[in-house]
Amino acid sequence: MTYGNVNVETVTTSTPGGILGAGNASIMKNRIINGAMTIDQRNSGASVTPSNAQYLTDRFSALLTQSSKFSAQQNAGSVTPPAGFTNYLGITSLSAYSIGSGDAFGVLQKIEGYNVADLGWGTANAKTVTLSFWIRSSLTGTFGGSILNSDVSRSYPFTYTVSSANTWTQISITIVGDTSGTWLTTNGIGLNINFSLGTGATYNGTAGSWAGAYYLSATGATSVVGTNGATFYITGVQLEVGSSATGFEYRQYGQELALCQRYAYIPNSSGNVYTTFAVGYVYNSTLGLATITFPVTMRVTPTFASSGNFQINAGSSTLNSSALSLNQGSPYTAVIGATISGGTTGYGASLSAQNTSSALLTFSAEL
Amino acid sequence: MYKLINTTFGNQIVVRTNDNAYIPMDEANTDYQAYLKFLADGGTPLPADEGAA
Repeated sequence: MTYGNVNVETVTTSTPGGILGAGNASIMKNRIINGAMTIDQRNSGASVTPSNAQYLTDRFSALLTQSSKFSAQQNAGSVTPPAGFTNYLGITSLSAYSIGSGDAFGVLQKIEGYNVADLGWGTANAKTVTLSFWIRSSLTGTFGGSILNSDVSRSYPFTYTVSSANTWTQISITIVGDTSGTWLTTNGIGLNINFSLGTGATYNGTAGSWAGAYYLSATGATSVVGTNGATFYITGVQLEVGSSATGFEYRQYGQELALCQRYAYIPNSSGNVYTTFAVGYVYNSTLGLATITFPVTMRVTPTFASSGNFQINAGSSTLNSSALSLNQGSPYTAVIGATISGGTTGYGASLSAQNTSSALLTFSAEL
Repeated sequence: MYKLINTTFGNQIVVRTNDNAYIPMDEANTDYQAYLKFLADGGTPLPADEGAA
């Protein structure tokens, strides 16, 4: 039996305006990870006043040239998210800052090159994409942002309009693919998407066209950090192939978490004060070695950090650890060294939290 | 500032001393890229201690 081909631009439902899919259909159509702001491994819903490049909700980081101009929090202000969503990333301006020409503030997602390789950007076959998201701000007017390549030599400033204050508005921006420049298709940065919170003249360009320049936003866009207490809430971020926005691609929680864990894996002891993180052996009297296997292959060998109190459980002994270190790493596993005293060489061992809910390991392979 | 650490496996790892983050020598790791830029700009890491961490 043979089957023919079905070629469609859009698949609609009987509900007016209901669109199921377009272009490359619907499975993994969204190149944004954590676009619904569901995963918040680092902050667990707490407010942060970020430093530059600090991560907010997973995969979204802060861009800033001046400190303490805004805070960020999953579900800041506890407003009702748009229908179908349970979370958003909330930005709150902490002052009325006058933007300098070289200033830039924003929320950024860096997309791995593997995940946008099919876009063909930098070639004659560059595909058109559509960026869509929900926005709610205490400010109205024209807002801006930009898409950039990895070395920021190519950029596409865009604008969008918020007409009603404190009202969720869905935005859709269609971008013709860039046929110039170098766009990585590796495990490096495929593209950057910046949602501007205020950008100085140096980094502002003309909206709606590609430029061989480092632009983070569009000329004339609103500065969120320019108004004390101004809010900027965002969720439902989606980047997809095609010239129209389709329904948001909801993913299962575990699936979205796994996608995030390619870039950051942060096990903690919040659910069990003796959480076991890794198993290994006692190397000598002052060092225990324990191997942790990552739940997904990380993008690169990750950077390691820890906080809280830990112990090595070896034989019938519990040995407090004064420090953890990274002894060997790969994208798949890491060998953690735990400084101890009184260890018996060769004993089997495990590394666990030391009766605390705040022990935390951080493995970061962010772009 | 950075400091080098000798590990029990005979390799070296870079420690970023301001937050005690252990940075593997993977050229695709963005923290290691920052360390390489630190070196290129003339920076010198603190030497590794005797023995292995």
